Amino acid sequence: MNYHASSVGATRYVGERTPRKEDGRLLTGRGQFTDDIQLPGMLHIAFVRSPVARGRIVSIDMGVAREMPGVQAIYTQADLAAIPVQMLSFFFTPIESPVTLLADGRVACVGDPVCMVIAESRAQAEDAAALIELEIDEETPLVTIADAKTGALVHPDKDDNIAAEMGDEDMLEEAIQPLLDKAPHVVTHTIRHQRIAQSPMECRACVASPEGSGEMTVWMGCQSPHLAARYVAHALGMPQESIRVIAKDVGGGFGLKNIPWREEVAVVVAARLFGRPLKWIEDRFEALTASSHAREQEVTLTIGLDDEGKLLAGWSDYACNNGAWPMGEDANIAVHMFMWPAYKLPAYGFVTRGWYTNTMGLGGYRGPWAMESLIRETTLDKAARKMGVDPVELRRKNLIYLPDQPVTSNMGIEVTDITPGECLEKLVANVDIAAFRREQAEARKEGRYLGMGIATYIEPTGSAGAMQPMTGETVQLRIEPTGKIVAMLSTHSQGHGTATTMAQVIADRLGVAYEDISIFEGDSAIGAFSPGAAGSRQGVIAGGATWKATEMLAEKVKAVAAHLSNASVDAVTIDGGMVHVEGAPEMSRSLKELAEIAYGEPARLPEGMASGLEAQFRYQPPPMTMTSAAHCCVVEVDAETGFVKILRWVSAEDCGTVINPGVVEGQIAGGLAQAIGQVLLEDMPYDARGNPLAATFKDYLMPTISDVPDFEYLHANTPSQTIGGMRGVGEGGAIIGPPTLVNAIADALAPFGELGGEAGEVTLPLTPSRILDVIEQRNVSGHQAPAEKAVAAPVAEEVPAETVAVSPETEPAPATASIDGDWDMTLKAPMGGQTFLAHFDTEGTSLSGYLSAPEGRQEFSGGTFEDGRMKFEVKVDKPMKVTLKYDLQATADSITGKCKMGMFGTAKVNAVRA
Amino acid sequence: MKPAPFDYARPTNVAEACQILAEAGGGATVIAGGQTLMPLLNLRMSQPFILVDINGIADLKGVSRIDGGTRVGPATRQAEALRDSTLAQHLPALVTALGHVGHYQTRNRGTVGGSVSLGEPAAEMPAAAVALGASIEITSAQGTRMVKAEDFYIGPYMTVLEPEDLVTGIVYPDWPDGHVVLFREVAQRTGDFALVGMVGALVLEGGKVARAGIAWFGMGPTPIKARQAEAALIGKALAEIDPDAVAALAVADTAPFDDHHASAEYRRTVGKRIFARTLREALDLRSAA
Repeated sequence: MNYHASSVGATRYVGERTPRKEDGRLLTGRGQFTDDIQLPGMLHIAFVRSPVARGRIVSIDMGVAREMPGVQAIYTQADLAAIPVQMLSFFFTPIESPVTLLADGRVACVGDPVCMVIAESRAQAEDAAALIELEIDEETPLVTIADAKTGALVHPDKDDNIAAEMGDEDMLEEAIQPLLDKAPHVVTHTIRHQRIAQSPMECRACVASPEGSGEMTVWMGCQSPHLAARYVAHALGMPQESIRVIAKDVGGGFGLKNIPWREEVAVVVAARLFGRPLKWIEDRFEALTASSHAREQEVTLTIGLDDEGKLLAGWSDYACNNGAWPMGEDANIAVHMFMWPAYKLPAYGFVTRGWYTNTMGLGGYRGPWAMESLIRETTLDKAARKMGVDPVELRRKNLIYLPDQPVTSNMGIEVTDITPGECLEKLVANVDIAAFRREQAEARKEGRYLGMGIATYIEPTGSAGAMQPMTGETVQLRIEPTGKIVAMLSTHSQGHGTATTMAQVIADRLGVAYEDISIFEGDSAIGAFSPGAAGSRQGVIAGGATWKATEMLAEKVKAVAAHLSNASVDAVTIDGGMVHVEGAPEMSRSLKELAEIAYGEPARLPEGMASGLEAQFRYQPPPMTMTSAAHCCVVEVDAETGFVKILRWVSAEDCGTVINPGVVEGQIAGGLAQAIGQVLLEDMPYDARGNPLAATFKDYLMPTISDVPDFEYLHANTPSQTIGGMRGVGEGGAIIGPPTLVNAIADALAPFGELGGEAGEVTLPLTPSRILDVIEQRNVSGHQAPAEKAVAAPVAEEVPAETVAVSPETEPAPATASIDGDWDMTLKAPMGGQTFLAHFDTEGTSLSGYLSAPEGRQEFSGGTFEDGRMKFEVKVDKPMKVTLKYDLQATADSITGKCKMGMFGTAKVNAVRA
Repeated sequence: MKPAPFDYARPTNVAEACQILAEAGGGATVIAGGQTLMPLLNLRMSQPFILVDINGIADLKGVSRIDGGTRVGPATRQAEALRDSTLAQHLPALVTALGHVGHYQTRNRGTVGGSVSLGEPAAEMPAAAVALGASIEITSAQGTRMVKAEDFYIGPYMTVLEPEDLVTGIVYPDWPDGHVVLFREVAQRTGDFALVGMVGALVLEGGKVARAGIAWFGMGPTPIKARQAEAALIGKALAEIDPDAVAALAVADTAPFDDHHASAEYRRTVGKRIFARTLREALDLRSAA
């Protein structure tokens, strides 16, 4: 018999390729997806959607449809409005666009839901839906970002088509351009990222069953039943305990299912109105054309470097298409926050905007800020080619290695334990780059074009405590009287394998067999709140919570065993479900025997100890845990056809403690498959009339198994500062994959010219036609770069043009009126508009006061007030430590101006008398 | 994604099928493997009043030798045709092309006749029929007629088939043993319709090209016969053939279009290259032999 002094069992589970607990039921077709739910009296929903991109609804003729067999009801927004709904973003802030569940008098994109038909079968619902006649007074739609800048308002009640904006345009002239002017090397690069249809294997789905007095059970494809329940309760103004959300198995989320959106909420509202269980299963046509899309971004980055290749300054101009009804207005500030913390870049500035258009709304998609890595890493490679230096050397000169830390980035991100440089060294130690360069040179002589791309990055994971709804995670754990282990988690899996990895942690830390552990998740009635799978967080936070809760439980087991054996706690070990006492083999007991005593004979427990064997822990980790990686990809480009073949792909990632290498590698591989799709295949184009052009998988090209190579994995294992030492790994492949592949293709094409031509504008996906543009140095693809330059780039002769839709505030006449007293002030801030009470007191030219919101009140003093111009600073701690610098102009009844928010850029401020 | 309501008939012979088609007055659609039709039904892009399932008609299945050629029943599964020894012997170009139709799984259900009669311009089967000189046997209540494949296609998804017509056979003329097979396609993913592709056969006699049949797919609204290239090849000794010049003539007969997967210019540029490369490889092989 084995005895171990260590507190853990002899059998290690953390770090093992343990078979997944989920696979048996999923591979034998016994998963429980939303469409598997059948309820007595359940009816089915089909939506009628707008066939035009923009227009006023003149009439909706439902006469014939209502008479169709099986039809029970047809609802429009006028019906659903009986229950008021406020749609919210993932951050639980109100959506700023005037979004309603169904179209309210007008349509703003193709696919806008207009009616919902409720019938006894889905087929009957669709039959009736096809007979509803919509008369829409069609208007010219705005489709592209360029359209949004110059066209009519997408939402008539808005000032402009800017959905969100941040950044400080003045900073280019004041701080960045002077540095670029002095830089010996200046490189500018533009990437136009196509629109992506998220395409989870399981489309969206919702079954809502009203029960009792206002209670509701909802089955929904989501990324966290807890979050979905909280969202629905909040949006409908219901108490959360009246809504239970269940999602046992979900086939992929990727951000699309972060929050319930219009259709899911409409199903819940309709079920309340109609009083019977309702089911809506999104079909693939709806999923491609009417689920929230992703990406569609245009970004231009300019960097200056010195003669040694050290970065001196950077400026970027970013725009993304928010569509008509985004799941949260977004200027993607995270692109700028995370572009440079892994690099030594002294100065960086940006402007960043999201634009409303008459296209399907924008949603988050695995690594929503991934453009930071794509534009940075491709620009660095371009600089390396231009300067004739090795891309690895260029990165070595600029990357932050462990000895350089802690260090705070130019955007205020503090990094203490990132390892992108160490990952890069691990990568290059395992890839013979010199041999590849020889092979590449030989191949070129034969007319074969090989290319190698390398990219490095860091990723914020396990975010908690800085903003809603990113919270800690709770684990409830018990040893049943049977000796089996049951855990109830706040986690959720859409393929993540949390039941597997968390059971591994429990088995490892408690000393029990993996098979004896049952995990319960996927139900808002089980466990406690967490946002589930969002932001690469579950391994970090739920992993830490499980780690700690298991150790707490192990301590109790040992205390009981020590007491029963009259031994010291230190002499007790647990292994294979048996509890041993050192030096007294006759005292060994199974966990079952101990549990029977703990539950059934509490008198035998130490005095004062609670009966049973249970533990609960809610883990609040550090606000952010960084993951790092370096990837290398080798491609061959067929110069005759422009086809790209991926020959090799090596990943060197550092996600700290690896609970299950198979699960980690599965996450990386899945993200890389999506990266390959984005770089080479996937595209959701719109025509000029606002019609989405890829309505089936015949035209929307998902990467298939033959398009994705076998990946090689190297794991660096720098434990993080969290319990257990894990770092998140869910999104990384989708973030670092695109630049790695684009760099490899650009390297292969280097003998012909720069990818993106002289203008340096790369448009994704890199179709064979676009590759031939470079090889033949002519316009094979027929792709015309937009005539007008879409973004302001810092070049010596060009002053960045103010975009049309942003008209500078008219300068009010100097005010002499008093500003003392209360104002209602609105700040157009990153996570949506914030409104609060502002109180000002002036004494001569000195200004003091406070800003008051339900979350708290911030006093300030030391401001100035001269000729109507107000300047003051407010320090805040949440969501991040930042000093807000207000610069406002006041008249007697209004105040307008700007607030500089450190790394969050600049927000517009408006105030009126309270 | 549920089809609009339709009636369903499963006739057991051709006459019965033609009777149903005639009575439907244009409201019927024939279903064989359903690999294209089922999605179109589900998307309600096709809304027939009656679906005529020909899977129960034994006469429409299988491969048989006829005088001077091979007859393929339209309801023959692509997977069966792919492993048919008669086709392997007499029509290797057709078999090569079949291997690129859809995916392993879809070929188990999809039929040769379904692909031939759908008329997808970027599909392999219509181009192979045109290249190899096949005739389509069409039967209706009025009788049976033969239409040459090159006259069968009139536009994207458009053929000379009338609503009451049923394809009852595809007849491929014999190509002598040992003829040269030409095939190449460029598709973004395995199993996709081609961005551009070509298929054909050459007969060599006494060191000269005695017979040529070549057609493009993905290069216009229909499969396109490379007439000028065929004419330029016939009668030429292998050493006299300039593959690039023949390829240029072949492209001259095409009318490709732009879509978001590839431009017309891409199709012309790459089409010319794959044509020349395929011809060169085939002739090099023969010269060396």
